[in-house]
Amino acid sequence: MDANPIVLDDAAGDVVVVVVEGEHDIYTAPTLRERLDEAIRRGGGIVVDLTGATFVDSSVLGALLDARRRALEADQGFVVCVGETVEPGVQRILDITGLVPVLPVVSGRAAAIDVARTDGNGPGG
Amino acid sequence: MNATAPDVRLTMPARPEGVAVVRQALAGMADALDVDATVLADMKMAVSEACTNVVVHAYEDSDGVLEVDMLADENALTIRVRDHGSGIQPRADRSRDVPALGLGLPLIAALSDSFELHGSSGQGTEVRMTFSFARDGDPVEENPVPGTVGDDGRWDPDASRETPAS
Repeated sequence: MDANPIVLDDAAGDVVVVVVEGEHDIYTAPTLRERLDEAIRRGGGIVVDLTGATFVDSSVLGALLDARRRALEADQGFVVCVGETVEPGVQRILDITGLVPVLPVVSGRAAAIDVARTDGNGPGG
Repeated sequence: MNATAPDVRLTMPARPEGVAVVRQALAGMADALDVDATVLADMKMAVSEACTNVVVHAYEDSDGVLEVDMLADENALTIRVRDHGSGIQPRADRSRDVPALGLGLPLIAALSDSFELHGSSGQGTEVRMTFSFARDGDPVEENPVPGTVGDDGRWDPDASRETPAS
């Protein structure tokens, strides 16, 4: 059992959701990067769902920002969602780094999927 | 704050899997001290960033040790994160799986009530941070994290947040 899973959910069709749960730091950041690479390779929009995440550090932000840059270069939408009740170990670093409007970060997964779909010029846009 | 906890010293290999162990030990100590959840969250974030700096920057390609001391008094917890590595200058090492964003020290400075960096080339580095149990305000307002992410994907402390790179 992996207490800190990162899995791809492609139930939304042209937008793939990278579901990140548990604690994530320098140890799991390489796995997150692999999953994000795979999500980008699929060619559509990308949503990173941190609703089930309890802790993320700057290693995770680095992975997210790299993926975002590459997604935008490829005209793929990129959106992070955090759910309605956000863990302090996730909300705090997003707040104090000012990255909420940059990544960007929204609450719900459905809204994130909509934005990722319309932001990109891929198959769905 | 009447609760007490023993001083803690952790010594472990400076490897990525150790950082979560330090957070767990910190959470245990904070539990014994009845630390507010908000303060504990900031402690965890800051200590993770300090330990990550050791793991990523301290020891080129050789093995080395990560040392963490946690010292409580009536009012505050002081955490010292130490290595015996090559010095304090963060490097942009593109050969690693996880390039540094360069946000670690600004985060530590923002989240702690006081923060010191000691060390010199060849002598190792010690990050010393103190967290008050009872806060008058948010320490981030005293030392906000400056800047935003630059076009190269690294943190640019001089960049304006009003015009994020896109």
